[in-house]
Amino acid sequence: MNDDRKKAEDSEALPALPKYLSEALDLKLISQGAEALVYFSKAHPYLPATLSSDVIHNSPISPAGYILKFRPPKPYRHALLDAQLTKHRTLSEVRSLYKMMLAGVHVPMFVAVDPRQGLIWMENIDGPSLKKWIWGQEEEIEKKVSDEDSRLTMREQTVKPTLVAVGHEISKLHFMDMVHGDLTTSNLVLRRKDDGSLEPVIIDFGLSQQSTLPEDKAVDLYVLERAFISTHPMHAEEYITWLLEGYLAGFGQGKKTAKFKAREIMKKLEAVRLRGRKRSMVG
Amino acid sequence: MPSRIQVPEPERETIAIGLEGSANKLGVGIIRHFPRPNKNSHRPPAQILSNIRHTYITPPGEGFLPRDTAKHHRSYVVKLVQQALKQSGIPIDDIDCVCFTQGPGMGAPLQSVAIAARTISLMWDKPLVGVNHCVGHIEMGREITGATNPVVLYVSGGNTQVIAYSHQRYRIFGETLDIAVGNCLDRFARTLHIPNDPSPGYNIEQLARKGKHYVELPYTVKGMDVSMSGILAFIDGLANDIFGGKAKYADDGSEITREDLCFSLQETIFAMLVEITERAMAHVGSQQVLIVGGVGCNERLQEMMGIMARDRGGAVYATDERFCIDNGIMIAHAGLLAYETGYRTSLEDSVCTQRFRTDEVFLAWRND
Repeated sequence: MNDDRKKAEDSEALPALPKYLSEALDLKLISQGAEALVYFSKAHPYLPATLSSDVIHNSPISPAGYILKFRPPKPYRHALLDAQLTKHRTLSEVRSLYKMMLAGVHVPMFVAVDPRQGLIWMENIDGPSLKKWIWGQEEEIEKKVSDEDSRLTMREQTVKPTLVAVGHEISKLHFMDMVHGDLTTSNLVLRRKDDGSLEPVIIDFGLSQQSTLPEDKAVDLYVLERAFISTHPMHAEEYITWLLEGYLAGFGQGKKTAKFKAREIMKKLEAVRLRGRKRSMVG
Repeated sequence: MPSRIQVPEPERETIAIGLEGSANKLGVGIIRHFPRPNKNSHRPPAQILSNIRHTYITPPGEGFLPRDTAKHHRSYVVKLVQQALKQSGIPIDDIDCVCFTQGPGMGAPLQSVAIAARTISLMWDKPLVGVNHCVGHIEMGREITGATNPVVLYVSGGNTQVIAYSHQRYRIFGETLDIAVGNCLDRFARTLHIPNDPSPGYNIEQLARKGKHYVELPYTVKGMDVSMSGILAFIDGLANDIFGGKAKYADDGSEITREDLCFSLQETIFAMLVEITERAMAHVGSQQVLIVGGVGCNERLQEMMGIMARDRGGAVYATDERFCIDNGIMIAHAGLLAYETGYRTSLEDSVCTQRFRTDEVFLAWRND
């Protein structure tokens, strides 16, 4: 995230947030993607700040601050097309978030939306991304013990339960026929619960879509596999095995149809692995 | 992943002749490379000795069929090679290698040009070098514009790809899931019965300049990929309605014209292309965009890409019709780069292929 922040500060001409927001609230830019700018705000978008200290902490309202996702207008495209796309994408992201929230998948709770301006408010997830967390764990284990056997044992004790939980979370998503579209280790965040355990939360539904095809879900998993291979090359294979273990177990809790679904997805995943995400074709 | 191979560069001038005929353009070009003056300096710009093209143009409302296109190439190739040689003013003995397009493209035209290449290779006793058409476009674009490590948008009648370099290969980040953007424009030109001379895309661009009303069309970006066939079917339907006497009206009450349709089609599909290019730029952290391929001549596409690149603090690199549209010189250039690293195509391996992906080519000449 630090790198992103630095990059965001370096670039000169940032598309402007609507003035009523940037003037009223203390917003901090935390990342800049191709499509959206992500800001952090301590204050709730519409609850008065005087409430925050005593009321918010005793309510279901998130105390970890808020995230504002802003899709700025793209001056290169026709104004009508731009307005239509911004509205459509903002709404579809919010719909996905809401649907997943109702289904009990761990996603950021959404607070408010302004589709015409391309603004989504949601709760901030306080915790490291899966990528950062694994890097931290690997480093710690390397410091503590030196032989590979005891390192593996330690990884099995710490990293494995988390990855199984992550796999389980993704299975819930796929069971609802929701495809994330950009599953990477940075889009999985670990939230520390009150009892100290970690709970995976899936963020960024900007590319998500509803799909009943096993193919789309297999590609989702494949994209995540590639992310593991490029960011954690040392133990990628082991991590993927654990993750899929949790994924299949998640489906295993369902009825026969769920198991059948899981089998179909695994079959497709094999095929996708062989050919890569792209078909060999010419237009 | 193969380790990076370092190859000694030749310390003399090299010359190649390139033959291109993967679609309806037949191109012959001759290029000269100069050695680096010293180890640390850049390679001096290549010298274009000749660059000749002849296009097979069909009547309005018709596309080019493989068989007729191949026939066109066969009847013009000898003349074009002779012309190219004459224009370059160099003797045959000075040529180092014969480069030709090995794919991707239409089968029959590719084959007829490959036969011509094999023939002159045997006649003149020069080695053959088979070239990937897409790599030819990218290398020529880099050479002409001086872009060092750009994200490449390759848009033509047969290809639509967003490409970035990594580990000695041009990797495809996004592409079309069905038809190419040029194919979409060409086929819409056929629906409107717009002349194919000089090219359907050029004529659509001219009409689009007069368009005023934006008609809403499907917009299909799927992650890093785009899909065009649905848009084409939709706008074809609109056009048929309008020609069939069922007029459509814009919000201000004026009738939708074919200029408006051309305008809306361009705005929509180019916005899709710019969007996936921007995504690739954000992903690899590059600030340069290079547009290659025939559709890359379109000034509206260049303008839109320029606005996007400017907002990201970068710049867009584009070439003009001499190098954007299929040509022999790009094949000669990319072939010569490979030749200098010791690459040869034996006669047995000189078969061409309609399917030849950009990322199949190992780029021995790049080591960054």
